[in-house]
Amino acid sequence: MANIAAQRIQREFKEVIKSEEVAKCAIKVELVNDSFTELKGEIAGPPDTPYEGGNFVLEIKVPETYPFNPPKVRFITKIWHPNISSVTGAICLDILKDQWAAAMTLRTVLLSLQALLSAAEPDDPQDAVVAKQYKEQPDMFRQTAKHWTSVYAGGPAKMPELDDKIRRLTDMGVEEHNARVALSSYNWDLERATEQLFS
Amino acid sequence: MNFFFDVVLNAFIRMLQLFWFGKRRISNSLSIYVKTNEGNTLCVDLDPKWDIKNVKEVVAPRLGILPEDLKVILAGKELHNSTIIEECDLGQQSILHVVRTQPGRNRTRKLNLPQDTIEELASENSDVNESGSKPMNETLTDLPLEEAEESVTTISEQEQEENRAHFYVYCSAPCKSVQPGKLRVRCERCSSGAVTVDRDPQCWPDVLLPQRITVHCENDFCLPPLSVTHTEEIESQILYAKFYFKCANHTSLGETDESVPLYLIKPNLRKVPCLACTDIRDTVLVFPCEAGHVTCLDCFCDYCTARLHDRHFEFDTVHGYYTLPCPTGCPDSYILEVHHFHLLNAHQYEQYQRFGTEEYVLKAGGLLCPQPDCGMGIIPQSPDTDTTDEECRKIQCIGGCGYVFCRRCLQGFHVDDCETQHPVLSSSQNPATGTYAVDPLKAKDAKWDEASKKTIKVSTKPCPKCRTPTERDGGCMHIVCTRAGCGFQWCWVCQTQWTRDCMGNHWFG
Repeated sequence: MANIAAQRIQREFKEVIKSEEVAKCAIKVELVNDSFTELKGEIAGPPDTPYEGGNFVLEIKVPETYPFNPPKVRFITKIWHPNISSVTGAICLDILKDQWAAAMTLRTVLLSLQALLSAAEPDDPQDAVVAKQYKEQPDMFRQTAKHWTSVYAGGPAKMPELDDKIRRLTDMGVEEHNARVALSSYNWDLERATEQLFS
Repeated sequence: MNFFFDVVLNAFIRMLQLFWFGKRRISNSLSIYVKTNEGNTLCVDLDPKWDIKNVKEVVAPRLGILPEDLKVILAGKELHNSTIIEECDLGQQSILHVVRTQPGRNRTRKLNLPQDTIEELASENSDVNESGSKPMNETLTDLPLEEAEESVTTISEQEQEENRAHFYVYCSAPCKSVQPGKLRVRCERCSSGAVTVDRDPQCWPDVLLPQRITVHCENDFCLPPLSVTHTEEIESQILYAKFYFKCANHTSLGETDESVPLYLIKPNLRKVPCLACTDIRDTVLVFPCEAGHVTCLDCFCDYCTARLHDRHFEFDTVHGYYTLPCPTGCPDSYILEVHHFHLLNAHQYEQYQRFGTEEYVLKAGGLLCPQPDCGMGIIPQSPDTDTTDEECRKIQCIGGCGYVFCRRCLQGFHVDDCETQHPVLSSSQNPATGTYAVDPLKAKDAKWDEASKKTIKVSTKPCPKCRTPTERDGGCMHIVCTRAGCGFQWCWVCQTQWTRDCMGNHWFG
C-alpha cells in the first residue's frame, strides 16, 4: 500500500478513537491487519429506527489510491434495508461511489452509514425486494428489519410469531437463514415462501 | 563640508578597492552581462560579495560615464548602492541593465503619468528609496491566491529567509523538470528589461494578467506610436509591465529563455496541512477552488496517478482543458495551467498527453484504430454511423498501420452485418494466397497480437454505446463506462442499458 494511504488511515483511526461518538458508543473501529489496508467498523443502530439496539459490523477495505478513491465498505452483519444488499451486505451510498471526496474520513463514512440507517433512500436501492416492501408495506418492512436486527445484530425485540413461522420451515429441513430470507421477501406469507423454497 | 567629506571618502574607498579587487576576483566570480540603454552589452565578472556601488565603479569606466550617473536595474527594480549582489538572486550569465540617469527626461515623463504614480517616481532619483532598492524577488515572498488578501506584513524576516524559492516553473529545456523560478519583468511595448515598476506586484493576477502594473522604461528607443488625439497621447505615455519567469536552476540562455510559471505551487507559509496525508510540508499545491484546498506535492502526484490510472481526468468544458478538479469536489476548481502535471514523471506525463489527445479525437466524433500498438486517431469524413452504406462503415487507418476495419464493431472490415458475439479467431492461414509462406518474424508477432486479442476478448465485454473493451473485476453487474464523455450505464449480463429489471433479477449475478 502506498505510504500516503497508510499514513492517512493511521491518523483517521486515531481521530475515530478520540471522537465523541466513540465515547457515546455510537461508532467503533478496529484494525484487522498491521498495514492499515483493512479495518473493521461498527455502528450502533440509531434510536427510533428498527435498527435500535443492534450493533452492525462493517468490513472496510482501503484501496492503495486512498484518499483519492473511496474505501470499499460492506455490512458483515446481515441487515434488512433498502440501500443495503441483504445477500452480500453491499451498500448503495453516493459518497462511497462518485460523490466521494478526498476530504472525507473514516469517521464521516461511519456517521453517514449511521445516517443511512435512519433515513433510507428507496429510490436508489441496492436491494430491490426490500425497497419494494419499504415503499408498499412500511409496517411489514419495520417488523422485518426489527426481526433481522434482533437475530443478527443483537437487537432486543422478541417476535415469537415470526420465529414460529421460521421454525415451521426449518422443521421441513430448510436452512434457517434461507427460511428467513424467503419469508421476509414474501411479507411473511408462509405459503408463498414455501412455494418459492421448494420450486 | 559634507560634499568635501564624501569626495575624500570616495577616493579612499576607491583606493582600497583597487587594492582589494585583485584579491576579490579569486573568490568565486559571477560572469554576467550588462546591457545599456544605448544597446551595448558588456560581459563583466563580478564577485557575489560586492555591492552595487562596486558594480557601478567597474562598469562606468567602460562606458565612459561617472559611476554616480548610473542606475542599475534588475527585474523591474533599481538596485540600491548598498545592495549586495549575492542577495539579488543573480545567476551566471544573467543580465543587469545599466542606465545613464537623465533627470530632465524623467521629469517631463512624470507629468504625463497618472497622479498616484508621481510620488513613487519622484523618490526614485533619491538614493534613500528603501523599498525600491531591494530586488523584487525579495519583496515578493508569497503571492496570495486572492487579490484581496494581504500577505507579507505578518511574516518575519527570518521566515522570509527560509523561503527563498518563491516561484516554481516548468523548465522545458534544458532541465525538463519543475524548478524554482525567478520573476522578471520587461516593458510591454519595447520588450526592454531596463524598466522599473511603479509598484510591486501583490498577487498572481498582478503578474499573470496584462496591464495591471505600470512601469518606467529607460530604453531610449521605446517610442510611443504616433497618436492622433490628446487622450491617445496621454494613454500612450502609460507603459505597462510584462512579467515573465526564468528557471533558476540553469544558466540563463539569453533574454528569450523563459519558463512557464506553476502558480499553484506555493511555499506553505501558513502551515496548512495536506488534505490527503495531513502532513505540514514546506511546499504545497493550492487548488484554484474557493476554499483553496491544499495538498502536498507527493499527494498531488498520487492524486494525478490514481486518476490517470482510471483514465478519470475530466474535460473542462469552458476552457477545453483535459484536467483535474480539486480532489474534494469543489465546483469551478479545474487546474487551468496543465504544465502542473509535469510534477508527474515523464512517462506519466506522456500518458496524460496521449489520453488527452485520444479523448479529444473521440469527443470530436473520431475513432481510434483498434489494432494493437497502433491506436491512431481517425476522424472520418462522414459522421453517420447508422447508415447501411458499407463505404461509411469502412474505415482505413491512414497514416498509421493501414488496417481496414468496420467502424461499428471495430473488427476487421466485413461485408455482412456485424457479429454480435465475439467471432472465433480465424486461423493464421491466408485463404487469398493459398500458399503457406511463413515469415518467422511476422508469425511471432502475429501470435503475440493474437494472444493479446484473445486475452482482451476473453476478459472484456464492449461498452454497448462506445465499444470500449471493459473488464469487470468484482462488484455488481451494474457497469458505468469509465471513458470520459461516455459514462453509459449498462448491464454486464444483458449487455444493454442498465434497467430496474436488471437490478431486480441479476444485480449480483
